[in-house]
Amino acid sequence: MTGSNTIISLRQIKKSFASTEVLHGIDLDVHAGSHTVIFGPSGSGKSTVLRTMNLLEKPNSGSICFENREYGPGLDSAKLERGKPLELRRRVGMVFQQFNLFPHFSAIDNIAIPLATVTGISKSDARERGAIELKKVGLLPWAASYPSQLSGGQQQRVAIARALSIDPILMLFDEPTSALDPELVGEVLAVMRSLAESGMTMVVVTHEMNFAKEIGDQHIFMEAGNIVATGDANFFDNCENERARQFIGSVL
Amino acid sequence: MDNDLRINFMWHLIWDYRGELIQGLWTAVAVSITALFLSLFIGLVFALAKMSRFAFFRGLSTIYVNIFRGIPALVSVIWVYFGWSLLFGRNFTVYQAGVIALTLLYSAFFSEIFRSALQAIHKGQREAGMALGMTRIRIFRSIIMPQGLKIAIPNIGSMYIGMIKDTSTFAVIGLAEVVRVTQTINSQYFQPFVLYTAAALLYVAIAFLVDYIFKGFESTITYPSNGILYRFLTRKKRAHIQKLVDANS
Ligand SMILES: Nc1ncnc2c1ncn2[C@@H]1O[C@H](COP(=O)(O)OP(=O)(O)O)[C@@H](O)[C@H]1O
Ligand SMILES: [Mg+2]
Repeated sequence: MTGSNTIISLRQIKKSFASTEVLHGIDLDVHAGSHTVIFGPSGSGKSTVLRTMNLLEKPNSGSICFENREYGPGLDSAKLERGKPLELRRRVGMVFQQFNLFPHFSAIDNIAIPLATVTGISKSDARERGAIELKKVGLLPWAASYPSQLSGGQQQRVAIARALSIDPILMLFDEPTSALDPELVGEVLAVMRSLAESGMTMVVVTHEMNFAKEIGDQHIFMEAGNIVATGDANFFDNCENERARQFIGSVL
Repeated sequence: MDNDLRINFMWHLIWDYRGELIQGLWTAVAVSITALFLSLFIGLVFALAKMSRFAFFRGLSTIYVNIFRGIPALVSVIWVYFGWSLLFGRNFTVYQAGVIALTLLYSAFFSEIFRSALQAIHKGQREAGMALGMTRIRIFRSIIMPQGLKIAIPNIGSMYIGMIKDTSTFAVIGLAEVVRVTQTINSQYFQPFVLYTAAALLYVAIAFLVDYIFKGFESTITYPSNGILYRFLTRKKRAHIQKLVDANS
């Protein structure tokens, strides 16, 4: 089942909001160093799958395995120890469509304050780490700026730096460029590209099909709460699934 | 004779009794500030209860708020001063009765102010904190509360002006606040126009001052802020950030 190089695996994940089931039994493995792309029409359940991976959504049934711990309601077959959601979240970074920076903290404190509270290091050590992370995304000169003083692209780069500061082994991206003006998309994708090249394990929900094609080595096409097609790096060239082909055609 | 009395405004009374009037104002401020801190705390507790996942706490908070925000200050203070003493077999001082009466009423208002301010914070803020592995308490303390407070501060300021004004009704139990002092002087000189003009001016002056102070609080926690207080309080932090930027550039 769970191979040694599998970072996270979802088994038979079902999720309902009120009485509506929106995920109908998702199975998904993410391997170390891989770049999984999830795409599909709006409302198909992409965000819900992603948010299940760091337990922002609690599945109604099914199992999530991460670092030899099991989360979620669980399956009878799994024999793993139960994990605490906080342990998982401290190993998984997430980047949101709306950035979700903290407006009352400067760019560097958006990184430093959560980092200090989560790891217990001093605020001043956390700021030093914050400076390093900001430099990596090219925003060190903006360290003292507040989110309201930054462009959307800059805010999203701070959000990526913030997520990376907790040293995650898995990074989740939920449409990271969808809220950006077109001319700001490139700078965010550039940061994600270099992160991918550095070997980070990533799961990305995106409509940027060219970028998906470029970095993706596992492609997942979702529709109406199901995974209806999957493929490797060559998915875009030899996809068999008619619906997936149509969808790719419509957004490319 | 009557005419004489009416046109003979003894404005000097204000100056003659300035000490008493200021003392009255000080009493009003002392009672209301004590009640302000108590009701901010209790109001926050009831706001959190109202947002609790337990129906019992939500119900308790709803009942508390609906009862106490409906009671006039005059009724509240008489009830506490004369009524509660029978109930508990102990007498409150007029000062204590005033503080308790105001706290009961305004904690109900502050509960509503805090609740709507905290609920105005976008849920993405909480989720970002959770995704970083922060605990619920940390998220509340570092992320939700500071942003909620900023939204609540202007409302807290206008409520506090209302609290000061409500202390005027405590004359009825003999608290020596502005109105009680004015009444006492007036009973000797029968100069209601002069004396109540003085009382009104005192209330207006303190309202301006409170407004100014709360605007200051607000600008201090506006981000980015140009407030002097903000710049003073954060000077070390800003120097540290600048040092890190220089060191890493
Ligand atoms: N918090 C929620 N409450 C109710 N319904 C939700 C909630 N979040 C998502 N949904 C519903 O679940 C379905 C999948 O949503 P989502 O995962 O956001 O889709 P996608 O990201 O693919 O656009 C949609 O029908 C959406 O309306
Ligand atoms: Mg989505």
